[in-house]
Order: sequence, then structure tokens, then C-alpha cells
Amino acid sequence: MTLTVGQSLIRVDAEAKVKGKAVYPGDIEMPDMAYMKILFANRPHAIIQRIDVSRAEQLPGVLAVFTAKDVPNNEYGLISPDQPVLCGPGSNKAHADHVRFIGDQVALVVAESEAIAVQAISLIDVDYADLPVVSDPREAMKVQSPRLFPDRDSNVFGHYRIRKGSIENGFKNADVIVEGYYQTPVQEHAYLQPEAGVSYLDEEDRITVVVAGQWVHEDQEQIAHALGLPLEKIRVIYPAIGGAFGGREDMSVQIVLALATYRLSQKGIRRPIKIVWSREESIIGHHKRHAYYIHTRWGASRDGKITAAEVELIADGGAYMYTSTKVLGNATLMCTGPYEIPNVNVDSYAVYTNNIPGGAFRGFGGPQGAFAAELQMDKLAEALDMDPVEIRERNILREGSLLSVGTPLPKGVSMDKVLEACALKAGWVRGARGWQRPVVNQPEQANKKRGIGFACAFKNVGFSFGAPENCWATIELRGKEEIDQAILYHAGAEVGQGAHTAFIQMAAEALGLPFEKIVLVASDTAYTRNSGSVSASRMTFMAGNSIRGAAAQALEKWKNEERPAVATYQYLPPRTTPYDPETGKSEPNFSYGYVAEAVEVEVDVETGQLQVINVICADDVGKAVNPQQVQGQIEGAVVQAAGYGILENFLQKDGLSLTKTLSTYLIPTVLDVPTRVESVILEYPDPIGPFGARGMGEMPYLPFVPALVSAVHNASGCWFDQFPLIPERVLEGLSS
Amino acid sequence: MSFHEIQITVNGVHERVSVKSNQTLMLLLRETLALTGTKNGCSAGECGACTVLLNGEAVNSCMVLAAECDGAEVITVEGLAGDPLQDAIIRHGGVQCGFCTPGVLISARALLNRNPNPNDEEIKEALVGNLCRCTGYVRIIEAVKEAARLQV
Repeated sequence: MTLTVGQSLIRVDAEAKVKGKAVYPGDIEMPDMAYMKILFANRPHAIIQRIDVSRAEQLPGVLAVFTAKDVPNNEYGLISPDQPVLCGPGSNKAHADHVRFIGDQVALVVAESEAIAVQAISLIDVDYADLPVVSDPREAMKVQSPRLFPDRDSNVFGHYRIRKGSIENGFKNADVIVEGYYQTPVQEHAYLQPEAGVSYLDEEDRITVVVAGQWVHEDQEQIAHALGLPLEKIRVIYPAIGGAFGGREDMSVQIVLALATYRLSQKGIRRPIKIVWSREESIIGHHKRHAYYIHTRWGASRDGKITAAEVELIADGGAYMYTSTKVLGNATLMCTGPYEIPNVNVDSYAVYTNNIPGGAFRGFGGPQGAFAAELQMDKLAEALDMDPVEIRERNILREGSLLSVGTPLPKGVSMDKVLEACALKAGWVRGARGWQRPVVNQPEQANKKRGIGFACAFKNVGFSFGAPENCWATIELRGKEEIDQAILYHAGAEVGQGAHTAFIQMAAEALGLPFEKIVLVASDTAYTRNSGSVSASRMTFMAGNSIRGAAAQALEKWKNEERPAVATYQYLPPRTTPYDPETGKSEPNFSYGYVAEAVEVEVDVETGQLQVINVICADDVGKAVNPQQVQGQIEGAVVQAAGYGILENFLQKDGLSLTKTLSTYLIPTVLDVPTRVESVILEYPDPIGPFGARGMGEMPYLPFVPALVSAVHNASGCWFDQFPLIPERVLEGLSS
Repeated sequence: MSFHEIQITVNGVHERVSVKSNQTLMLLLRETLALTGTKNGCSAGECGACTVLLNGEAVNSCMVLAAECDGAEVITVEGLAGDPLQDAIIRHGGVQCGFCTPGVLISARALLNRNPNPNDEEIKEALVGNLCRCTGYVRIIEAVKEAARLQV
């Protein structure tokens, strides 16, 4: 029984946000501030032969211009430091003169005003020698393709293999075999707040960057690495953050702000510096959800048991690694769905191209994997004349089932219960022949056809495949006889998901104190220890366990009459292990969330337009720390996935972005949302989750698109192996 | 660059300011008057984060030149203090990252001023220019409905 955890308490940040008082990076003004603009390469592949900044430097009001030669250690990157901070000649890295995508940064201008900085940018002369552009990862994989990194022997920078059982025997035992070629599109995060930040020297002379990100300590490390400075000389602070969804995991303005403050201070100029990206700069400047090319073949026996799954995944990594190898790891695990399959072969590849880099985006490889897996299940069901829920249930992962990587899931597997809850709610009935899809009422208009589809998925909680995983919390109890106040120090980022409110609820619960007595000091490297990122649906789980540990120790000290009673605790989850290079055998994750979704859609067969009528999303969240916020995550994820599935058409051609604004990149408006979104929150506790909680921010996203495509098939008889299902694509499919 | 002297009333406060010919109302509010509750999401009239009431109408302040606002009355999110919409959107969980929230509140206020009892379709029509990437809009619509009930 919990008191505070499980209550839909009001968010701690809501009042400031509705009054316009919440301060986002672009809102910060400081005395004597200077302004920065960046010169982007705006070409996809070239060598920079010369940069002449003299005209820009001479413009009145310009304080400084910085180029590659000013970067002490001109490289960065979350997985591998393969990206120059600034592209150009003269730095300590041999290939930093190489531009590999349009968003590569070339020069920085710091000036008295933004307008002067903009003008100075146009006065920088750069000589480029263009190189052949590699824009299709399938071509980029070939030996004869031009290479982005001359010192590497291939554009392929990541490859995983899974070999389970015998794929030959699996197909021999199959009564039906279904083969599919799927493509998933690029997606832009389109958070409402474009990248921005301020940097200055704080009272201890630390280079301080106030910015929107997802992991203060990672930002700090990346800055320190590029500047060649010790960590303690760098401080990172997050103010209010206007959305992230994975798009703020890599660096945008962090390093260049710190660089400018560092170099200006060496000239004796100690002024705060501010930068705000335009929407266009945001769109070319940060990574995207990876496009995937998936070729897959599955076999099943007449009784609906899957006997074999063979998958080839190719991810367009774009120009730099970002988190591509980790995303690929997830997709490799999830491309065979939440099913126990005896014989599996997977080969997956991440490939460099001159497109905008692929990187983290809600679901992190899961949506791409789920799309292929779930459509294969639907097509097998059709080939076997079996209900789509029935075939899923016959193969579903259960307690003790072996994953494709040869090991069981951690205890607490609820996939079967989630599937059942969603199917029942959506009108499926269990009859003599098993599950049966409900008959959808058809509208009177002859041009409108309705259908219903179903899909399910699992999503890891926490870093996977042996990545170091831990989370710190500090709790300070103040008072004399009674605890008057508890201060929680935690680095975890509030990007809009409600993390800080959940932290306080969990701290109140663990300490047995009222919510109001908890004060949170968050997301400042000067006061908080490493929490890891807000990603991988991990923060509620990891923070909750760290808070519980710190609370128990602080209460013990309080009992021993320490005043104040201060405890710092590091939560370490069970270890995971990497893919075996030959077989893929591994213990990939320590926790999962399970989700199933039913989508009802109306297809206008004359115009190709889709209207999502009803979405039922059943999620096992373990324990809903704040049910209202959980529901908000489900609704938000469903609508974001609906954008991915129907509207959002990010176009790149020969390494150039044809989509540059929100008037051509259409994200869902209030008129584009499903008529109804019904959340079914299930609470089967995770044995090692805090208060039983699992992570849940990503999982509602995963099954939406395959369930949508399944519904469109149910309505129209057409399969779509590519999306978004824009009217042109739907009409073309219907007519062929 | 020429300058224009204008008089403008913002949240009930009379201001006399000098603005550049190309300065937008959004920048006047955010930079000159330090009212940063009005957000800049695109500077192109596409996202609605900068919505303010201009003489009672909801407009994208990034698409209005400040020089055109001589004699105008402007309400920003800072001027909505005590509006039942604020409380309703909090209680219904319609705030996540909060960057769209000021614009959403202003568009909703303009709606309720001209139509105190809107139906779902009218609410959606009023909010169609305000992009939100977090909430899926469901809770925002509920909040506007409740605020309408409370103010009748």
C-alpha cells in the first residue's frame, strides 16, 4: 500500500508554465550578454580547403570568430568521437576538414547582437571541394561506394548477428512462409522549443552552460573532452526544457557555447554568451529517427506456431555515429517481436551516409523492429486463415520463454495478460476457434471503409547489452525532533515527461513524508551526481531505486541523531551483457514494459485520407507513480506515433533536406488526433522496480504504426510496407 | 533602419516604445519588454507558441510588425493571471513540457471570450494553430471544456 505513489498529484512545474514564468534556455537574459550564430556547412559532402574570417572579424560589433583551429580537441560523439566540433583545416584532428552532412558546423561568430552575428556569418568565405554524395545506405554498404571516413575500410560501422537454432530446419518445418520488404521513414522530433543556451563563467570560474538536454553529466563530459579541460572546470545546468523525445541526447549548442566562453575568457572577455537556433537550424542541426530497410522471411506451421524468422536490417546512420549502434541493438532484438521463435537468424547493419545523422527518438529502434515483426505476424495469420490476436497468443513471450538471444526475460513477464486485456477491450471474443476479430460497423458513405488492427510490443527499460548503468541520489533530512524538510539532489532531467514530480512522489513515499516537505535540487552538475540520461524509459525506474536507497540510509542516520542526516546512494541494476559476435547470445536487459494496441481506422478510398477513429492502448507500467501523467504519456505517444504513421514526411535528396519548416513537416494538430484514445493502465509489478514500477514513456509508441497498417488492411485489403500513409501512398496502394 | 515611436498597452500597462521597422510584436514583447512567457518556436507563424491577444484577437505575434501596433491593446500569458483556464489545464494534466502552453491558453481565452460555451469541434478549430508535441491534445481539450463550465 502506497500513500503518495499512485496519486495523480499536480505537477510541480505546472504553475510556472501556465503563468509564463518557467524559464527555458532561450528566455535567459543576463547583463552584458553577447550573441552567437553558427555557420553551417549546408552541403552534404566536401573538404574545406580554406576559411577566411577576416571580413567577418572586421565587422563592427563582432567580438570574435572561431573555427576548427580554435577547438582544443576537435572531436565529440556519444558512442564514438567521430564528429568534429567545427569542420575545417588546422585543428588537432586530421580529417576534421571533412564536411559529411548539411548540419556540420563550420564557424562561430560572437557579436554584440544577434543581427550583427548573422551579418558576420555571411561575410565568412569558405572554399569547399565537393565530394560524391552517398545517400542510400544500401549503396553505401557496397565496397565500391565512396567512403565518408577515409581511414575506415567500409561505411558499415555496426553489425550484429543472432543465430538461434537452425534456420534451415525452421523453414523445413514451416507450412507457410511469408517474405516482406519494409521501409520505415526518417522522423523529426519537432519539439516545440528549438535548441538554445547560455554560457558564462560562474562564481567558481567554471565554464557554465545552461541548456536543454537529457543528461547533464554526459553534456559535461562531451564539453570537457572537446575543450581538453578537466570535468570540474565545466558545469551544466538544465532550466525548463521544451520537449526532447531523444532529440536532445546528442550535442547541439553545448560544446560551441562552452568553447566560445573559454576562448573569449582567454582574451580577457568575460561576458555571457547566448545562442538560439531558428526552426530551420534545429531541423538540420540535430539527428533524426533512423530510416530502416528491412528484408525478412518468417515461417509458421499450420497450428500457427512460428518456426523460423530470418531478418536483415539496414539502418541509415547518416553522417556520424551518434547512438546508432545502440539503436541498432534494440532493433535487432525487437525485429522478431515479443514472440518465442525457435529458429532465428538476424543480421543488422548501421551504415554511414551523407544524410542527417540518425539517432535517439522515442522507442529507439523498437518502432522499426515492431513494424516488420507485427506485419509479418499479420501476414502469417492471413496465410493461415487465423485471427491476428490468436496467432500472437500462440507464440507470445511468457515467463521463462527464451528470447532470440537465447536467454529468458527477467521475471515479471506480462505480455500475455496485456495482449488479453487489449483484445477484450477492443471487442475481440474468444470462441471455439480461439480469438475472433470484432466486425467493424461500416459507415453509410460508399467511399469510407473502416477496419481494426492489432499489434503488440515489448520495450526495454534501462541501458542494454552491457552498457554501464547506474543512478545516484542524495537526500538531506533537516529538522530537530521532526523532519521539517527533505532535500533531494538528483540530476535526472525534466523534459516535460513529469520526471521531477515522480521523483518527489517517490521520495515522499520512501521517507514517509508529505509531498510538500520534499525540495528537489535537480539537473545541475555542481550539486547532483550522475543519473544517466532520460532515455530508454529508464528514469522513473532508475531514479526511484536510487531515491529509495538514499531515503533508507538517510532515515537510518536520522535515527542515529545525525543532523542534518545526509545519504548518497548509487543504484546498480542487474548486469546486462553484450551480443556475442557470432550467435548474439546475451542477457540484453534487466527490465521490460509490455504493450498492446488496437487501432480502428476509416479509409477514404476516394481521397486516400485516413481518420483514426479509436485507439486502445494497454500498457503494463508495473505501478503508475502518477496515473494522470502516465495517461498523458500514453496519449502523447499515440499521437506522436500517429504523426509518424500518417503525416510526417521528412524528405532528403542527395544529402540535402527538402523539409525545412513546420509548414512542410506536418506534425499532428488538434484536428489530426484520433477521435478517441483509451488508455488501459495495467499494474503487474516489476519485481525489481521501485514500488513495482516499470518504465513506460516509449512503449505506447511501438505498436501504433503496425496496428494502423493492419487496420487499413482490414478496411481495404491492401498491405502497406512503407509509410507514412499520406494520401498519395494510400491511393497508389489501393489502385494497384 | 528606421524607428517608430508607438504607444501600446500590454497586460494593462501603458508603454511608449521605439521599435524598428522590421521588429515583430513577438520580439518587442520578449526582448524589449522582457515578457518571455510568449514563446518563439518557429518565427514563421507555423507553431502558435507566440500567440497573444491583439485587440482581443488571437494572433501569432511573430507575424505582426510591432510598428503596426500603435494604440493597440495586447494580452500575453503573463496577463492571464487568475484565468480559470490556467487552473483547469493544470488539473487536467494538459501541461507537459509547457512550451506550447502560453499560446494554447491565449487561443483558448480568445475562444471563450467570443463563445463562452464551445463544443468539441469549436475548441479544436480554435486550437488548430497551436502545435503541441507532448500531450496528444486530449487533456487540453478537456481543460478548455471545464474552464468554460466554470466561467458560466
